Amino acid sequence: MQNLKNKLNLIYELSRLDFKLKYYGSVLGMLWSFLKPFMMLAILYVVFFYFFKVGIKNYEVYLLLGIIFWNFFADTTKDSAQGVTAKAQLLQKTNLPPLIVVASVIVHSLWTFLITLAIFFIFFFAIGLHLTWSILTLILLIPLLVILTAGVSLFIVPLHMRFKDFGHIWDIFLQMLFWVTPIIYQYTLIPEKYIRWYLLNPVARIIVDARNAVLYNFFPEPKQLLITSILVAIIFTIGLIIFKKHGRRLVEQL
Amino acid sequence: MIEANGITKLYKIPHEKNVTLFETILGYVKNQFTYEDLYALKNVSFRVNKGEIVGLVGKNGSGKTTLLKILGGIIPQTKGEFHIEGTVAPLLGLSVGFHHELTAQENLYLYGAILGVPRKEIKENLDRIFEFAGVGKFKDMKIKNFSSGMIARLAFAAMVQTNPDVLLLDEIFAVGDKDFKPQCFSVFRDYKQRGKTIIFASHDLDAVAEHCERTLLLDKGELRAFGNTKDVIQQYLTL
Repeated sequence: MQNLKNKLNLIYELSRLDFKLKYYGSVLGMLWSFLKPFMMLAILYVVFFYFFKVGIKNYEVYLLLGIIFWNFFADTTKDSAQGVTAKAQLLQKTNLPPLIVVASVIVHSLWTFLITLAIFFIFFFAIGLHLTWSILTLILLIPLLVILTAGVSLFIVPLHMRFKDFGHIWDIFLQMLFWVTPIIYQYTLIPEKYIRWYLLNPVARIIVDARNAVLYNFFPEPKQLLITSILVAIIFTIGLIIFKKHGRRLVEQL
Repeated sequence: MIEANGITKLYKIPHEKNVTLFETILGYVKNQFTYEDLYALKNVSFRVNKGEIVGLVGKNGSGKTTLLKILGGIIPQTKGEFHIEGTVAPLLGLSVGFHHELTAQENLYLYGAILGVPRKEIKENLDRIFEFAGVGKFKDMKIKNFSSGMIARLAFAAMVQTNPDVLLLDEIFAVGDKDFKPQCFSVFRDYKQRGKTIIFASHDLDAVAEHCERTLLLDKGELRAFGNTKDVIQQYLTL
């Protein structure tokens, strides 16, 4: 029990360290983390609403929610890898478990995500929209997102440790995944014959369900939610196994 | 109590360095995967009793740090097993847990967390640590502004407060002024009285001779001797 408390304390301390380091000496500092999704929103909104004339109602909140969820996934996976490689010295000279480092990055990211989500809801109410009971689905969807992100992070961190250029590969993969996820458009745009494969993407599933819950007063079908949970569980398990098997060993190669 | 049995650490050194994914795939295709076996440690077995201060000597590259890293749980061994009773604190370099941009006090919280000390305990010990290290005035100053001697004293003080059962020290006297060594040794003597175990790797043979009854001698990864310090040191000098 004490051991668990110690591990949690360590995760807390590492998150604090990352927090201080990230914002030390920058003018906007913490503000930048929260500004980023809004800047993305501005650009994408102008391009897709005005130029491409995507006719989705309340496009600002439609976009913003997707952006915020997506950013948590993308940024956390990138930061996990970066966090581990940055702590090479620490990992090679003390018995700090690499798993703790990844956990602290996820905690840090989650913190930012929740605050950004709060700002989203302020924006949401400010433009006159109303919440419905379906919002409660977020209680299931957010943990699913976190577990999914954790699983993917655990999977790619050993790859980053082994291959120095994996960062570039992951960046490109994220770029592609962004477009294959219905953030900017509705998934109904996808032709019938591809939709089954398209909807195997767990990030897409979570974002679609989240948007339905927040904007359209729509509870997800239990069967669909179950499929999402199974996908997330599989990804997380694979990630954890790979990380446990290779994580410590690869520390020597950092 | 530390018991090691057949500890072996094998590194496969590739002849071509394949760091990127591209190079690795290319390597597969061209079938260029040749390795050279490097045994950092080969079948090392020994037993250290509770309350012993044991020296660890050997030439550079003999495997001292590797052995300590394995015993400290930092890297896994390739073969063999070991058993250590009690908590282990590997101290492989004095300012390892410290981060330059944080203040001394913040670093102690972080360092303590890494060494597995509950936050409350660190808080209570803060003043004692600063007093022991003699840097109380600077507790809110960033570590990057400390001298290396101050950092050494602070790290040592912090480590001491964690009260581990087993201490693994790797050449910690390289940094540290004339007052630092005696301070360390008074801590060692205190630890010994309290029944704690220390493995102390060093090139400072006088220090080893003075404080360790028994000493391990490693050479090219193999355990050449383990016994009376004076004899082992003699053997080391004739290698």
